[in-house]
Amino acid sequence: MNLQQIQSKITSMEIDVLKAVQQRTLEKYTAGPSVEHARLFFLLLPFFDGKQWSGKIEVSAKTVAIVYAALHAHDQVKEDAPVTKKQQLTVLAGDFYSGIYYHMLTNLRNIPLIQRIATAVVQISEKKATFYEESIHSVADIDETVEVIETELLTAFYDYYGYDEYTPLAKLTLNYIRYAEELECLQRDGQTHVLRLLKKSLQQDLHTENWLLEKLDSLHSQIENCVNGYAFDYELKHFMLHQITPHQHRAEQLTREG
Amino acid sequence: MEKMKLKLLYSDLKPELEMIEKELEQAVDSNSHLLNDASLHLLQAGGKRIRPVFVLLAGKFGNYNIEVMKQVAVPLELIHMASLVHDDVIDDSEMRRGQPTVKAQWNNSVAMYTGDFILARALEYITKVDVPNVHDILSRTMIEVCRGEIIQIEDKYKLDQNMRDYLRRIKRKTALLISSSCELGALVSGTDEKTAAHLRRFGYFIGMSFQIIDDILDFTSTDEELGKPAGSDFIQGNITLPILFARKDKDIYQLLKESLYKELTDEERLYIVKRIRNSPAIKESKAISERYLNKALKELSYLPKSTANKTMRNIAFFIGKRKF
Repeated sequence: MNLQQIQSKITSMEIDVLKAVQQRTLEKYTAGPSVEHARLFFLLLPFFDGKQWSGKIEVSAKTVAIVYAALHAHDQVKEDAPVTKKQQLTVLAGDFYSGIYYHMLTNLRNIPLIQRIATAVVQISEKKATFYEESIHSVADIDETVEVIETELLTAFYDYYGYDEYTPLAKLTLNYIRYAEELECLQRDGQTHVLRLLKKSLQQDLHTENWLLEKLDSLHSQIENCVNGYAFDYELKHFMLHQITPHQHRAEQLTREG
Repeated sequence: MEKMKLKLLYSDLKPELEMIEKELEQAVDSNSHLLNDASLHLLQAGGKRIRPVFVLLAGKFGNYNIEVMKQVAVPLELIHMASLVHDDVIDDSEMRRGQPTVKAQWNNSVAMYTGDFILARALEYITKVDVPNVHDILSRTMIEVCRGEIIQIEDKYKLDQNMRDYLRRIKRKTALLISSSCELGALVSGTDEKTAAHLRRFGYFIGMSFQIIDDILDFTSTDEELGKPAGSDFIQGNITLPILFARKDKDIYQLLKESLYKELTDEERLYIVKRIRNSPAIKESKAISERYLNKALKELSYLPKSTANKTMRNIAFFIGKRKF
């Protein structure tokens, strides 16, 4: 499979997911479902890597993407913002997408996967709730929280279909993407829960930026090592390293910044 | 007091409902202190537990086994709870059942995660049931309930909507989940299809009647009785049946039209509530509710006479007459 075919398959899956959750009013008033290509790539990775695949597995993969979209919608609800139509419909969008995923897996008669996904959602919700708990968060706690939020659903899918071999790579990569987003936000003077906790734990903004840069370097090295451990063909490996996790090492960034 | 009276009607089910209450507590047990507190806060605020009651009563028409029945009764109540906590974010509600809402006690985000957590627990629970139809009915219901709420937001502040819009909305918003409670209870207890269909329709009609009464009570009850300000539905732009009838009066129509987008003072709110309460709209709305109630009772008349049948009948009568 060449680069174009990989990209085209991801785009086709994105279209299918968007179609599955299509709703006129939600489309009009909300930001629409968030379907990230990196997640779709990992949901399709066993297929790209030539593992046993079927129409039913692909539908299951789409439902996982829908659950990600459901949870993402609820993350967009502002903590203490006044009521707006957009906010109200964003709440409902998340619930609507959850109903759709349940219905799609019911149609496949795949009740065990519904259970696994539900368990993953429980764990993710618990981790998200820790953002609002008073307890002290160590960097290791924050790291674990990010990992669960980013990868628990995908892990449930891999476990169920026996694709566990991809779990280490998916964890490294999705964590990498999340931390890259956090760094970008920090550099824009933005605020997120993860940044707030990191700053509290590391005590300074500068330390947080350094920590993120080092984290990204370390994760990327691990990703490179990890990728080499798989028998991926050249195109797949290339897509993974250059499309999914394009990386600029810390030294390069510092040079660029002068 | 009213809730006590209702509970007396199904006192036969007390041991089973206590068991379900314990299961609900266990189901919302969480590794997160915050989710634990928020879920228990919601659970302990109480509620009529009408959905589990209908699951159990419907099950009495088949091979009733509480261990099987609770596998459906618990998740249905959890789904209802999850929707309430999210509804409070949608409606920006500070109080529910006389208690601060999760969003008021914590914030919108905590309410979102609490709802997601409770819904996921419901799905974990229901997947113990190995009857494909159960999942088909429940997942369709969940989607339709959301569609109903989306339409409700679309229809907000539209004073010129018709009664069909309203009925379609409350069907999805309330009646479907009660109808599904009855149908699922019938299904897991193995009743025949005809019985399940009568129970499903009973649930639908009683759900419609229940919601209309709820909408009437928003104008006829006091703030204290409701545990929230009377007229809240109207303040939030929800056009309910009493409003649809009341708007026939030109003066009231004008008053409603002028008040819809305004930030109302307590005095103005109470004046609108009073005008609607004293209009024929309440009586006319009650007549529609009664019509659904009679249809619900008719469905019961097709079913074998039993204690469960009698309890369902009594609950139906109670719903028709409840004061708040």
